[in-house]
Amino acid sequence: MGLLSIHFKPNFLGLLKCLNKLNWFIVFFSLINLSVCIYEDQIGKFDWRQTYVGRIKFSQFDTVSTAKKIIVATEENVLAALNLKTGQVVWRHVFESTSTGNIQLLHVTEKVVTVTGSNPYLVRGWDSSTGVLLWEWSLTLQNEEQSEFSEFWVQNNMLVHMLPVFGSHVEVSMYNLLSGQNRGATSKLPATWTNDGCVLSAPYYTCISGGVGTQQLLSLDVTSNAVQLLSRPISEYVTVNTYDGGLRPLDTNNVIPAFTLDDKKIVLIRNNQFEILKTEVVDPSASVALVDTMHGQVILQAWFDENEGFTVKAHNAATGAEVPELRVLEPELKLAEPELAAATCSRPRDQLACRLLLTGADDSVHLMQQGGRVIWSREEALANVVAVEFVELPVSDLDAAIESEFDQKEGSIWAAFTRRLQTQFQQLQTLIQSLQKGEGEEDEAPPALVRDYFGLHKIIVLVTDVGKIFGMDNLSGALLWQYYEPSLDTENVLVYTRRTARYPPYDAYVTIVGKHEESGNGLIISLNPITGALIGEKLMHLDVQLLQCALLHRPDNEKLYALILLDKDENVQILPGSAAPLVENMYMYVAEKNTARVQGYALVYDGRSLWARRTWQVQLGGGGAARVVLAARKAAAERVHSPGRVLPDRSVLYKYLNPNLVLFVTEGPDPLHKDVVVATCVDAVSGAVVAAQTHRRARALPLAIHTEHYLAYLYYNDKHRRTEIATLELYEGQSRWLGAGAAFSSLAGRRAPSVERQAYILAAAPAAAATTRTEKALTDKHVILALSSGALVEIPWGYLEARRGGLAEDGSVIPAQASPPELLLGGDARLNYNRSLARPARVHAAPAGLESTSLVLATGLDLFYTRVAPSKTFDLLKDDFDYYLITIVLAALILATYSTKYFASRKILKMAWK
Amino acid sequence: MKQLLSIFFSVSTFSYVLSAVNPPEEEVGNGRYVIEGRVFPPEEQDLGPWQVDTRIHVNGGEYIGFIREDGTFVVHNVPSGSYVVEILHPDYIYEPVRVEINSKGKYRARKVNYIQTSQVIQVPYPLRLKPLAKFRFFQVREQWRLTDFLFNPMVIMMVLPLLFIMILPKMMNDPETKEDLKQITNLAKMSEMPEMSEMFTSFFSGGAAAKASSSKAKQVKKRQ
Repeated sequence: MGLLSIHFKPNFLGLLKCLNKLNWFIVFFSLINLSVCIYEDQIGKFDWRQTYVGRIKFSQFDTVSTAKKIIVATEENVLAALNLKTGQVVWRHVFESTSTGNIQLLHVTEKVVTVTGSNPYLVRGWDSSTGVLLWEWSLTLQNEEQSEFSEFWVQNNMLVHMLPVFGSHVEVSMYNLLSGQNRGATSKLPATWTNDGCVLSAPYYTCISGGVGTQQLLSLDVTSNAVQLLSRPISEYVTVNTYDGGLRPLDTNNVIPAFTLDDKKIVLIRNNQFEILKTEVVDPSASVALVDTMHGQVILQAWFDENEGFTVKAHNAATGAEVPELRVLEPELKLAEPELAAATCSRPRDQLACRLLLTGADDSVHLMQQGGRVIWSREEALANVVAVEFVELPVSDLDAAIESEFDQKEGSIWAAFTRRLQTQFQQLQTLIQSLQKGEGEEDEAPPALVRDYFGLHKIIVLVTDVGKIFGMDNLSGALLWQYYEPSLDTENVLVYTRRTARYPPYDAYVTIVGKHEESGNGLIISLNPITGALIGEKLMHLDVQLLQCALLHRPDNEKLYALILLDKDENVQILPGSAAPLVENMYMYVAEKNTARVQGYALVYDGRSLWARRTWQVQLGGGGAARVVLAARKAAAERVHSPGRVLPDRSVLYKYLNPNLVLFVTEGPDPLHKDVVVATCVDAVSGAVVAAQTHRRARALPLAIHTEHYLAYLYYNDKHRRTEIATLELYEGQSRWLGAGAAFSSLAGRRAPSVERQAYILAAAPAAAATTRTEKALTDKHVILALSSGALVEIPWGYLEARRGGLAEDGSVIPAQASPPELLLGGDARLNYNRSLARPARVHAAPAGLESTSLVLATGLDLFYTRVAPSKTFDLLKDDFDYYLITIVLAALILATYSTKYFASRKILKMAWK
Repeated sequence: MKQLLSIFFSVSTFSYVLSAVNPPEEEVGNGRYVIEGRVFPPEEQDLGPWQVDTRIHVNGGEYIGFIREDGTFVVHNVPSGSYVVEILHPDYIYEPVRVEINSKGKYRARKVNYIQTSQVIQVPYPLRLKPLAKFRFFQVREQWRLTDFLFNPMVIMMVLPLLFIMILPKMMNDPETKEDLKQITNLAKMSEMPEMSEMFTSFFSGGAAAKASSSKAKQVKKRQ
């Protein structure tokens, strides 16, 4: 105790001094009041979650159980049940994201059977109504090489596994579905005619084999005891000259073995005989399905044509006659490359009622009735968001008019006066209009997309992996617009807001820089984020691959920030080209991921053209064969409110605020310590290494935070088998290097900042990291981590501070808080309370118009949006503020004063009469 | 100081012993093992299918297990090594367990300790996992309570003087103090406050009436 008081006293005095200052409340909020969680009645008030499953791989209608569902298995390794009426997820299981979670088979009867993984396989049975696991067993194949061509299906309550060895034989094994017991040994069927173009239409394995011109269509029932090979020359079905070897299984078929030949003919296998149908495939891109109805088997074909739109045609399989009830022609539905994922038909009252589950190339899912009515749609592209940008909304017309009035500074007094009169008249007009409108249709029009008073309403531009771009309302999560670009490869895609909606009459302008799917050349999409319409460069195909791109730091006279592209041949392009003379003091860097070499460029405009000059080169990773795991820079145009930090002794520690600083985290092998993680802070203009840090026996994670003078990155400590978060803080020291307000220059005066370092233990597996951002950076910064457990946690920077436990400038020890080095992630730190997020991948934060508030979006399989107030909402009344109570209290007080006054005067009168 | 040194020594020797044990475990063997256990449901649950909401993550989702109807789970095809098994329930906390499988297929389960990584507190294997507590996600809204109101310093500041003024004189019942009190009340007449009726009459009937009424009031005062 004595020891404690000795240490405590001087600090306490310092604290008292500090309290005298106005900023005592900042200390209060940042140190004492660390709980940031919401109240229970605020659930869903300013947050929402959307659950997705990913692109559908297998799907089947569950018509057995009472609650009608569709069971889907997806490319994202998710097994889910969707409500047939609403399309909402009833239950969902998320498997491993690696190949061990790949779903190979979905079979739905009363139970749902899945086969996942790739040697070893796991066979699981699920209860279709609740989603509870019923049984599971593991299946390991001896033959490792060819196992990727394995096929599974369920037949007579047995799981059949078929493994073709091309050109030699087919191995077939059967297992008891529930227990995994093998019925006898694996049977090997000789089949020298197999090749990699074969298709399975259970239980028949069908191939086309033979030399050109003499090709044979061969088919084999691999489960029958007697080997019986069907064989026909292909010339019986198609003209051999035009044939190019297309053999496709039907997209949906659980009736009878069938396949399409050469994208033209549909062939059934009935009674061990090939049977060619009269119906031909209408369009080569059509998706073909075979459905059992009361009218017999029906062939469904769905395709999309640019001119005619989306079409479904149905033909009776036996007669070839068209079934007119099932015909769909929807010119409006833009569903590229539709696929009939599942179809079911029933006949409730002597009338065909069919449900078609369609998936498009853009990963969207639609459930369609016969006749073309879409019951529900899901945008499964959102399960894989790769880039996010928050965009401001434009001000309303009225506000814009007021603003434009104050913008015009030239002109005489009279001109200004007439302008004022005009705008006032306009305001009056709109007021009258709104009054007139208010009587009639009030709630018909959707809320207009205009900026609200606190700037909380924004549009989120989401770029998804499949190349679909969405505009989403952040308050409701509703999709406002979508744009699908099939040729966009979204690997390392970048999104820039080049003009906000602040400058009417100019539109807001967002540019997406990606790659072309086939050539890898640059592909640029520019659109108006409010409407989703293409503007400016629109869709621009570059004829060269890009190395790096950046926004110019200065807008042109249309308030547009130019986009600078550095291509593979180190040529520079600028969009729009007219902005080239504005390029001045522009630098770029390019980091090679696999060699960890970073190259710096200076962009020079010589009066005619723009070109890049190599300036510096740094080999990162300490000389070994390292690779760059990530490069983190500060957010563009980041604001820093305070250039220093006030210490307890009232001196100021100035922050090192270099806007050009980039944090590189590299990972490389080391002969002594297995893997070494090196974090290097490089000045991207001069190439100078400002700070560096090495972690031995560690593996880097691609997660880092870089803001103001703070840096934090995560790595996995192999020695202690735990995740750690390392933090760095850069300080100039007690005196300022430059005068107040002077612009920082990387090239002038090289002084090394003092670096404070610390590392903390994170008792969880992180998946994404970000910091909160606010408009003026006045508010505290909190770190937001998405954990693989599905939690989204908010950690105050005070917990991560690098100066904690270190020595202060005056030699006194900064008190390490009483907590252990492990970061506490309690329930109250969770932003998403019990709404767990499946497989979170990214976290984005954007400032709101309100200084205290930051908008946060976590993406992954689920989308979760919320808003956080790191220093509490100091600029806003509490949302539980009781207006009624305060009015009642005020009224009662007034009443009480006057009534007492009245009674007092009466009393005086009575006393006077005495 | 001596104590400190000795503690440090013991810790370091312990870690040496463990590091000698570690290397064979870290090699990834060809053998595939399973991690088994049983999860007990939270007691005050609303009998929904808790098995669906509860997930088992091994090493942060590297391997995933699912819970059967009876609460048992098996994570298949795990090579030898050291794994952290987490039970993830949206509302309840379960303690994570570290399961170590050596190359010979021997299992050891112990408590997860990220700070003293060498400390071993064994737990039984196959795992038996019970919920520790419910997550506390939300702040509790402050509710209006009478005691809070009464012990509010502002209220005490107002109530106590009132007690002194109103109750004490009655308790004393002394004629002299009564006289004093009368004087005090006379002094503290609320003459600054405008009377409602006066305000209205003066407003409607002009200044003369107002003057008259005020003179009347003066007369009343004088008579007193």
